[in-house]
Amino acid sequence: MNSMKTRTQLAEPTHSPTRLAAIGMDQRQRNALRILFSSRCNKRYVLTEEASSEICILDLDSFGGEQKWKEFRDRHPEWPLILVSIKHHEIADRNTLFVQKPIPVERLIAAIETHRSNLPGSNIQDSQPAFDNPRINITKPMSGMDSTPTSRVVSTRRAASLMSASQEQTFVGTSPDIDPTDPEQLQNIYYNPAHYLQGLSQQALNQAVRYNQAISMDGPWPPITLDIESNKIWVAATERQLRPFCTLPDTTLEVELTPHAEGWSPPSNAKGYPLQAFIWQLALWASRGRLPEGTRIHQPIYIRRWPNFTRLVVTPHAMAIAALWAQQPRSLLDTASVLNIPQRYVFAFYSAAHAIQLVGETRRAVDTLIQPPAIERSTNRGLFGRLLDRLRGGKRER
Amino acid sequence: MSDFKIIFSGPVGVGKTTAIGSISDIEPVITDEKASDMTSAQKPGTTVAMDYGLIALGERERIHLYGTPGQQRFDFMWEILTQGGIGLILLVSNARPDPFSDMHFFLDAFKHFIAQTKVVIGVTQMDLSKQPRLEDYYLQLEDNGLKIPIFEVDARVKRDISLLVEALLYSIDPGLED
Ligand SMILES: Nc1nc2c(ncn2[C@@H]2O[C@H](COP(=O)(O)OP(=O)(O)OP(=O)(O)O)[C@@H](O)[C@H]2O)c(=O)[nH]1
Ligand SMILES: [Mg+2]
Repeated sequence: MNSMKTRTQLAEPTHSPTRLAAIGMDQRQRNALRILFSSRCNKRYVLTEEASSEICILDLDSFGGEQKWKEFRDRHPEWPLILVSIKHHEIADRNTLFVQKPIPVERLIAAIETHRSNLPGSNIQDSQPAFDNPRINITKPMSGMDSTPTSRVVSTRRAASLMSASQEQTFVGTSPDIDPTDPEQLQNIYYNPAHYLQGLSQQALNQAVRYNQAISMDGPWPPITLDIESNKIWVAATERQLRPFCTLPDTTLEVELTPHAEGWSPPSNAKGYPLQAFIWQLALWASRGRLPEGTRIHQPIYIRRWPNFTRLVVTPHAMAIAALWAQQPRSLLDTASVLNIPQRYVFAFYSAAHAIQLVGETRRAVDTLIQPPAIERSTNRGLFGRLLDRLRGGKRER
Repeated sequence: MSDFKIIFSGPVGVGKTTAIGSISDIEPVITDEKASDMTSAQKPGTTVAMDYGLIALGERERIHLYGTPGQQRFDFMWEILTQGGIGLILLVSNARPDPFSDMHFFLDAFKHFIAQTKVVIGVTQMDLSKQPRLEDYYLQLEDNGLKIPIFEVDARVKRDISLLVEALLYSIDPGLED
């Protein structure tokens, strides 16, 4: 109701719609294209079968995608084709255009329009070229992998933070944004949770659940016991005493997980921390703005449900990221880009939420097909920001 | 002067009056009366008209916090109250006999409002009753496809209610800090 639509819109078609076929796409992907064509492209394009199509789109990432491409070219040497893939491809063929996934809608439209202008009998001259159309908003910064992090101006506006600067450093670190095309920089954003107390705690939790037992983690640190009965981790130390063991790798090399007999009760000097909150915090400490090894930064991320923020350490921008992913899966880099925040905040939140199994990489082909639209800006954004500051900054004097 | 409002709702005794008081600039205007037969077993005062609180942002903007009366005999007021509202904060209590049906009832009662805006859910009194778990609330909503924020809250704690309001704002506009 109070959100302004800022969507790409094409003009009504002045002629019958261009017919496109999708090759190497499942039902979900086809549906996504169908919805895209009818909602955001104003029905200028329709999805049909290959035989009756004018332009084809082929997903190279589908099973046997390269082979499908070759077979297609054997069938139709000159047919206009748009290839899409998560990985970049250089293609030297004027009948074949490449668009990288997740597909920015503007790019897809541009590719279709380029092909369309070459179609026999095209009356493109008197119909408006897509990008001159004032209703297409191409000045809007493209989000996602195209933006080079070095040139990106990161938001300087800071809502009153729930965290002090030094807390932020402990939980999120200070790493600068990386350029995802630089393999060397890419190496620096990963950590292996298994090398930290985080991974050990997750392992202990799995065991505790499987065997329905309390489990102690015996190592160089103060005694820690994980008890699913009370849903707590009991630690005979303060947070400050414990933290050094959580931020160093390889303290877990010579460690034993010791199960306890039924009826275990915590020692009187131990403090109980809620299990999920504890593992969440260990993950923040260990990751310091990095990602679990193997996490793909271009793969869209889904959120299973919202974290219980009232009982967790809330890192800066965590709520914004959760809200975004609750709307639609998005890749880690795209998330940083559309929210205009440094990547480390996204990485830190992902690592913590991943440690308690709230987030993960999407696996369905449809989730990587089309780039999610830009955030719909609420007409009350300014007011919301001021209210946020107030809520974080304490009550006004009466 | 621009005026906005946020609606707090939920069944009897879940902490609506208390939650509004936790974040309001002013002492909440309370219309409690001695509890009727229906609610007397639960607590001394129940709200009979509505709760009202206020957050003033500078000279120009005011956020009015309205709490619907919990008792169902006042449900005729709910629809009117929501008109032009920013969003809905639904409180349910783990200490009530059937919080799931409470949640479904209120989500249904406000469905038109929710369709226009957003809703967040706070589960109160989890310190009094551990069951059901938050996870169970999410399972209840799995079929509707919406990822509504559901947090454990204590209505007496300002940070809890503030985070609930934050989640509402971010749900409406994730880019609001930009
Ligand atoms: N133990 C505990 N008490 C709470 C919590 N949240 C609220 N309360 C208490 O619950 C009681 C009821 O709160 P109210 O704010 O009067 O509830 P209400 O929703 O306004 O009730 P009605 O006006 O009757 O509908 C108060 O005594 C609160 O202090 C909680 O999380 N835990
Ligand atoms: Mg009340």
